[in-house]
Amino acid sequence: MKPASTLSTAFLHPAGQALPEPLLALRRQRGAALVDMPLPTRKTENWKYSSKYLKLTDEMAISLPTAGKAGSALAVPGYKVVFNNGVMMPEASEYPDLEDILIQRFGDLSEAEASELAERLDSTLDNKTVQFAGVNSARFEDGLVIRLKPDAVLDQPLFIIHEVTADASGSAFPRIFVDAGRNSRITLVEEYISHGHEAVMVNAVTEFTLAEGANITNIRLSMDGDNVQHIGATGVLQQRSSRFESHCVGFGGPLRRHDLQVRLEGEGAECKLNGVVVTQGTQHYDNHTSIEHVAARCDSEETYRNIAADKSHAVFNGRIYIHQDAQKSNANMNNKNLLLTTGAEIDTKPELEIYADDVKCAHGATIGQLDEESLFYLVSRGIGRREANVLLTMAFINELVSQIPVEAVRETVQSRLNQFFEKAFQEA
Amino acid sequence: MLSIKNLHASVEGKEILKGINLEIKDGEVHAIMGPNGSGKSTLSQVLAGNDAFEVTSGEVTLNGEDLLEKSTEERARDGVFLAFQYPVEIPGVSNLQFMRTAVNAMRHHNGEPEMNAAEFMKLAREVSKQVDLDPAFLKRGVNEGFSGGEKKRNEIMQALLLQPKLAILDETDSGLDIDALKVVADGVNALRSKDRAILMVTHYQRLLDHIVPDYVHVLAGGRIIKSGGRELALELEERGYGWLGIKDEATAASPAN
Ligand SMILES: Nc1ncnc2c1ncn2[C@@H]1O[C@H](COP(=O)(O)OP(=O)(O)OP(=O)(O)O)[C@@H](O)[C@H]1O
Ligand SMILES: [Mg+2]
Repeated sequence: MKPASTLSTAFLHPAGQALPEPLLALRRQRGAALVDMPLPTRKTENWKYSSKYLKLTDEMAISLPTAGKAGSALAVPGYKVVFNNGVMMPEASEYPDLEDILIQRFGDLSEAEASELAERLDSTLDNKTVQFAGVNSARFEDGLVIRLKPDAVLDQPLFIIHEVTADASGSAFPRIFVDAGRNSRITLVEEYISHGHEAVMVNAVTEFTLAEGANITNIRLSMDGDNVQHIGATGVLQQRSSRFESHCVGFGGPLRRHDLQVRLEGEGAECKLNGVVVTQGTQHYDNHTSIEHVAARCDSEETYRNIAADKSHAVFNGRIYIHQDAQKSNANMNNKNLLLTTGAEIDTKPELEIYADDVKCAHGATIGQLDEESLFYLVSRGIGRREANVLLTMAFINELVSQIPVEAVRETVQSRLNQFFEKAFQEA
Repeated sequence: MLSIKNLHASVEGKEILKGINLEIKDGEVHAIMGPNGSGKSTLSQVLAGNDAFEVTSGEVTLNGEDLLEKSTEERARDGVFLAFQYPVEIPGVSNLQFMRTAVNAMRHHNGEPEMNAAEFMKLAREVSKQVDLDPAFLKRGVNEGFSGGEKKRNEIMQALLLQPKLAILDETDSGLDIDALKVVADGVNALRSKDRAILMVTHYQRLLDHIVPDYVHVLAGGRIIKSGGRELALELEERGYGWLGIKDEATAASPAN
């Protein structure tokens, strides 16, 4: 049988109807627009290296039912909101009830609030390049909207735990929208985890809009299980002098895709994007980032590192687009890649489009292996070969891991990395 | 302690060591001198187990055991230490973490309990003082951005921490100012003991004023062509290498083959 060339319409029919009418209407409209959406193939430019990993079956179109009180056992140092299979679990969540920071699930919004939100959903992402964000908009069963009033500051990180528990095949469509008012500030940690062994798709979308002077730190941990195909997107719109910092840490899977799109729309806005990916076995991970300098005098700084072991495959595509009026833009992109075995594959592609003449733009991409001389130096001190490999591999990403601003997250990342190292270098 | 018999080694198909014979007994200090490119570092690296160099024939034993069949890390755990002529910079691995990992690997091998971070920190501070390195260097990446002299002191610091049986010092004196030379020499003398041996490669007599060797060897063209006592070093200092029938160091810019 030939694989389907368009997304099965089964993926366009949401199950739950427990949302205010404006959001139901948005969903219907997005669903209608996606009928006959072509599935990516090798010829689809932005899926060139990854289309072969995408394997959607009709069974996976079913919305996974939520599993009771899941997630309540997770201890996090801060506030938390737990989603199970794309639906928020109020009893497992703990966050403050504040006047200037409103944290609401979509289902609890008034008609007026919902219609305002419907206007703004999808505004941060380019639906031509992030096709699957549209699928989320057609299917979300629930979602979280976080609104920070001007000058509001959340005193602790807010963890959003996106948990998938699957007893059968299906999908989850988690959705977050953050509206940060003038000079407000928040640190948001998104953690994607899963249990169960059935084939599952997680199709997640998170959007951030930053008003003048707003400051958002976003940590995204992609740690879904071996059965999960994860297609996620993050969209960011920044007004004048706002700052967005992101730390994306991803562990490979059968299919992992994250699109991160940032538009610097107001003068003096600034973004810093860090990314770490590790893959092993036959795992895959694909990061596509896009930074658009729309206004003048904005800074972007992007640093991504990939480590691929065994026969795994990591992809990085970094686009920087500097509009004609974006004079005095300052854009830096750096991508370094480490192949731990000759069977692993890494594809990296910077894409620069610059239409302003007075800009500073630097980019660099390298692919290498562990340095033999360094390895010899370490083992010549009695350090075991395996441990020396681990030290050098950690050295490759230490700078980025140590910049993650929440200690508990750094610990989680380190313990996942240790699991990775357990399996890597087994022959050493 | 160390016995080298008719050792031949090559790199990329080119023979560098052409039959080295050397016996070093417990407690002895041997100096190796010789023109640039004569194979001094190659010998040091081969002893430490760098497999970029291929041993084509000969044998090496350490305390009666075949050294050549052991891996680099096994040699280190058996007490072989090489102070590199060009210590490697490893950004991203802190000097402290590196040294603690090495010390604990050694302790583990010797059946001793591992040192925790606090215990090791205390020890490392003391030893860094001994080689006159600011403890701030412990926090930096391994040799990262260290000056030439700082790198050499860092090598001696590792030797002092690891307490090897056989310390091979490859030009640990070059690039040192007068004070640093004294510090390094004091460090090496602190290592000197009746059950430890030291093999040091040097170009200069001045180190040998501080660390008095029992034997001096001249390595040229991959062979030891002359051996003697410490007075040989003085003679070389005065007369160069010409009188031994080989090119003088200063004119031996192209490798002696
Ligand atoms: N990796 C290598 N590839 C090719 N040639 C090498 C390599 N390593 C060493 N050699 C060659 O082997 C010869 C001996 O080098 P070695 O470093 O042992 O000399 P040395 O006696 O230590 O010299 P110096 O006094 O300058 O430190 C030189 O001709 C050098 O170019
Ligand atoms: Mg040398």
